Amino acid sequence: MRPWLAWGLKLGLVGLVILAGFAVYLDAVVQEKFSGKRWTVPAKVYARPLELFVGQKLAKDDFLRELDALGYRRESTVNGPGAVSVAGNNIELNSRGFQFYEGAEPARKVRVRFSGDYVAGLTQADGSNLAVARLEPMLIGGLYPAHQEDRILIKLDQVPAYLIDALVAVEDRDYFEHFGVSPKGIARALWINASSGRLVQGGSTLTQQLVKNFYLTNERTLLRKGTEAMMAVLLELHYDKREILEAYMNEVFLGQDGQRAVHGFGLASQYFFSQPVSELKLEQVALLVGMVKGPTYFNPRRNPERALARRNLVIDLLAEQGSITPEEAATAKEKPLGVTSRGSMADSSFPAFLDLVKRQLREDYREQDLTEEGLRIFTSFDPILQLKAEEALAETLKRLAGRKGVDEVQAGMVVTNPETGEIQALIGSRQPRFAGFNRALDAVRPIGSLIKPAIYLSALERPSQYTLTSWLEDEPFSIKGQDGQVWTPQNYDRKAHGTIYLYQGLAQSYNLSTAKLGLEIGVPNVLKTLERLGVERKWPAYPSMLLGAGALTPMEVAGMYQTLANGGFNTPLRGIRSVLTADGEPLGRYPFKIQQRFDPGAIYLVQNAMQRTMREGTGRSVYSQLPSSLNLAGKTGTSNDSRDSWFAGFSQDLLSVVWLGRDDNGPTPLTGATGALQVWTGFMRKADPLPLDMPMPDNVTQAWVDRQTGLGSASGCPNAVQMPYIRGSEPAPGSACGIQAPVESVMDWVKGWLE
Amino acid sequence: MNKKWLATMLATAVLSGCSTVPQGSIPVIDAGSPLSSGGSGPSTSPAPAATPQRIEEDSGVVVMVPQGAVSTPLQTDSQPITSSGGLTFDPPVSSQPSAPSQGSFGSSAPSVPSGIPSSGGLAADEQLDGPVLALLTTAQQQQGGGDLNGAASSLERAQRIAPREPQVLYRLAEVRMAQGDAAQAEQLARRGLTQASGRPALQASLWDLIARAREGQGDPAGAAQARERARVNL
Repeated sequence: MRPWLAWGLKLGLVGLVILAGFAVYLDAVVQEKFSGKRWTVPAKVYARPLELFVGQKLAKDDFLRELDALGYRRESTVNGPGAVSVAGNNIELNSRGFQFYEGAEPARKVRVRFSGDYVAGLTQADGSNLAVARLEPMLIGGLYPAHQEDRILIKLDQVPAYLIDALVAVEDRDYFEHFGVSPKGIARALWINASSGRLVQGGSTLTQQLVKNFYLTNERTLLRKGTEAMMAVLLELHYDKREILEAYMNEVFLGQDGQRAVHGFGLASQYFFSQPVSELKLEQVALLVGMVKGPTYFNPRRNPERALARRNLVIDLLAEQGSITPEEAATAKEKPLGVTSRGSMADSSFPAFLDLVKRQLREDYREQDLTEEGLRIFTSFDPILQLKAEEALAETLKRLAGRKGVDEVQAGMVVTNPETGEIQALIGSRQPRFAGFNRALDAVRPIGSLIKPAIYLSALERPSQYTLTSWLEDEPFSIKGQDGQVWTPQNYDRKAHGTIYLYQGLAQSYNLSTAKLGLEIGVPNVLKTLERLGVERKWPAYPSMLLGAGALTPMEVAGMYQTLANGGFNTPLRGIRSVLTADGEPLGRYPFKIQQRFDPGAIYLVQNAMQRTMREGTGRSVYSQLPSSLNLAGKTGTSNDSRDSWFAGFSQDLLSVVWLGRDDNGPTPLTGATGALQVWTGFMRKADPLPLDMPMPDNVTQAWVDRQTGLGSASGCPNAVQMPYIRGSEPAPGSACGIQAPVESVMDWVKGWLE
Repeated sequence: MNKKWLATMLATAVLSGCSTVPQGSIPVIDAGSPLSSGGSGPSTSPAPAATPQRIEEDSGVVVMVPQGAVSTPLQTDSQPITSSGGLTFDPPVSSQPSAPSQGSFGSSAPSVPSGIPSSGGLAADEQLDGPVLALLTTAQQQQGGGDLNGAASSLERAQRIAPREPQVLYRLAEVRMAQGDAAQAEQLARRGLTQASGRPALQASLWDLIARAREGQGDPAGAAQARERARVNL
C-alpha cells in the first residue's frame, strides 16, 4: 500500500510540475499574441469622396444613389450620423466624418438644396452657409493576403449598447462574473438546450471561444479543450473583461464572401448593412449576434427565414433579460432583415479599377505592407461615372446584339478627367463584374485613325506651311516603303475626294490625304509628335504607321488624348491620390504633375478640327443623341476588316476612350462610328459633361474666310465663316463681299456646312 | 528524464516569448518627391513608378512662346527668392459669406488691379469666394504650418473643384517651389498662364514665379526673360 502511495505522490508531483511548466508556456503564448498587434488588416481601397459645394454640377438622383451605396438610412428627421431625409429638392443628412490626407472631415449635419442638376444651397444645421463639405468615401475593395481574412477593427466604445448586452445574453450569460471558464454556464446550457429541444446556448465562455479562434486549431479533442480552458483562465488573469470582449468582437467569424473571410462586427456590419457598426439598430445587432452560432447556417442572404427566426430569438432573449422593453422587442421583430443586396456598389464590384490600383501599389509598396498594415488607399474612382459607363456599354451591346459576330465582341473603356489626369472609371470586359483579362490596361490593339490627330498636330505646328484651310489632295498613290513593300493606302469608302481643306482630312478621316500629309511631314516626325503626346512605345517609321498600324492599349490612348484635351500639357494618368496608415497618418501621395509639350495655339487648332469631326465628320451621329450646345472633340478609329472599333474623345471635364473588338482578333461588323462611338455617346449622354471650351491662346486669331474659296472675307458677307489661325498665318482679309466663284471641288464641304 | 523535458518546455516558452515577429515598417513615400521622376527624394523612396506616361525633364521639346518675340535678356534683377508666406486674400474668409455666388468661382470677371502686387502676392482683382477660397485658405494655413504635402493636397482638391481657376495653379506652383521642385513649379505656372487671359496682375505673378523657378533650375537667361514678361504684364 505505502509504496503505491509514494509512487502516486511522486507521479502527482511530477504531473503538477509538468502542468505548471505547461501553464508557464501557455501564459507566454497568451501574452505574446495578445499584447502585440493582434491582427493583420488588408489595405482598404476607397473611391473619391463626393464633394459638395454651391454651384457643383450634381444630379439629385446621382447624389441619392451615392448615399444609398454608403448605407445612409432614409429617415423623416435626421438623427445621428448616417441618416438622410429627403423633402423634394432639399436633402438633409448627417455625414459620418472621415480622416483624409488633407485632414479630418467632421461628422456634421448638412442641408443640400438642388436646383436642376446643380447644388444651389449648402448650409449647416444652424442655417449658416457652408463653403465645401465632403462625404466619407465608398469602400471599393481591399488587398487580401493568401489566407484572405478581412476585418475592420472597432473599439468597444464605438459599438451600440445592445451589442454587448445581446452578445453576453446569447453566448455567455455569466461573462462578467466568471474567471474564463464557467461550470455554471455549461450546466445551464445543457439544461436549456435539453429542455427547449433546440441548440440555443453553447457551453464555452466568450473567453474560451476567443482563445479557440485566436490560438488553437479546429480539432475537437479533450486535450485541446483542456488547453483552451487553461488559456482562457490565463487570459482573464492578465487582461480585463472589456479588453477581452473587444478582441472577441474583432475576431469572431461572421461570414464568407467568396475567397474572403468576414471577421469581426466592424466588417460584418459593412458587409451586411453597408453601415458602420456604431449606427446599427437593435434588430440589426440582434441579427449579427445571432449569426455567431453559425454564420453559414444563419446567413441572412442565403437563408433569410432561418436568420429571421434566429434574430427574433435574440430579441426575445434581450427582452427576457430586461435589456429592452417588450414593446421595443415587438417593434424590432416587425422590421425586415434589411441586409443590402450584394454587387450594386459593394466591395469587389469594380475589378478592373482595383486591378489598376493594385498594380500601382505593388510597384511602390511591399506586398506584406499592403496585406497586413491596414493602409487606406484613396483613389480617384468615381462610382457614379463607373456605373454610367457600364450601363452605356451594356445598352449598346444589347442594341447591337442582332448583328453577326457582336456576341464575341469584347470591350475596354477608360474614363478620365482631362484637367487633372485622374482616372475615374475603368471597364476591362463586356461583363464589368468579371475579374479577368483587363482589356483597358492589357489589350494592345492597332489604333487605326486614332493616330490622325498626331499627324495634323505635326502639320499645324508649322503655321507657315499649314493652316486648317490649307488645300490637300485626296487622291490615290503608292509608295515604296523602307521595308521594301509597296504601300497603297485606300479610303474607307474606296473613293478619292479630290481637293479638300486640311481640317476635312481629319474630320472625315480620309486616308489618302492624311497619309500624303504625313509623308510630307515625315513619318519620324509624326512618331516624335506621338512620343510628345505621351505614347512610349517605339514603332518603326513605316508609312503604314500613318494609318494606325501601331498598337496601343485603351489606357495608352487615353494618355495620348489627355495631352490633346489639356491644352498640350502632358499629365501621367493617376488612379491613386494618397495613402494613409491605419491610424490616419499621411504616408504617400501621387501628386499632380504636368509638362508642356505643345504650343497651345497648335492644340487649339487641332481641337477645332476634332470638334468639326463631331459636328460634320465621322462622329456627327453623336448630335442625334446629345444637345448641339455640347461642344465635343473626338476621333473614330477602325482597323483593317473592322477588327478594332475605337473612339476617343473629350468634353471640357471628361475624356473617354472606348475599344470594342474580339479577343481572337477576328473581324467584327463594327466600325469606330457604329461600335465604340455608340458606347461613348451613350456614356456622355448619361454623364452630361461640360462643353469643351479651351480659352483661345494669345497667338491664335479668328479670321473671316470665304467658305468656298478659303480666301479672306469679312464679317457679314454671305459666305463668310470664322476660322482660327495662328497669328500671321491667316489669309489676307477680304475688303468687301466680292464676286462668288463656286469651286467644284469643295462642293462636298459646302454640303457639310449646310447640314 | 522528466526534468529534461521540462527544461525543454521552459526553454521553448522563453524563446517563444521572446520571438515577437517584428512588424515591418512601411517606407514612407514622400509626397514632394515625385513618384515618376526626379531623384531628389529620400533614400527610402521606392523605385520610380512606371506610370503609363513618364514626364521627362525637357525631352528636347521646343514650345513656341506665344507671339511675344524673344526679349533681350536683362540680368539686372537678382531679387532673392522670398518664401511667399505673405500671400493674403482680401477680404478674409469669415467676413465673406458665399451666399449669392453660385458657381462664380470659375469665371470671376477680371477687373482693374488696384495696385502693383507685392512680390509673390496677388492684387485685389484676384478675389475668390466659396469653396475655392475656403480650400486656398486651408492650404495657406497648412503651408504656414510647414505641412507642404497637406497644402499641395488641399490645392489639388481645389483644382478638382475649379480646374480652370489659374490662382489654384499659381498657389500649387508656389508650394512646389517651397518643396524644391522648381521644374514642376514652372510647368504649373505655365499652365496657369494659359488660363489667366485678361488678368494682368495674376499673369505678372505667374511670370515672376516662372522667373524664380528658372533661377532655381540654373537658367538665368530664361529667368530674365520671364521677369521681363512679368513687367510687361503690369
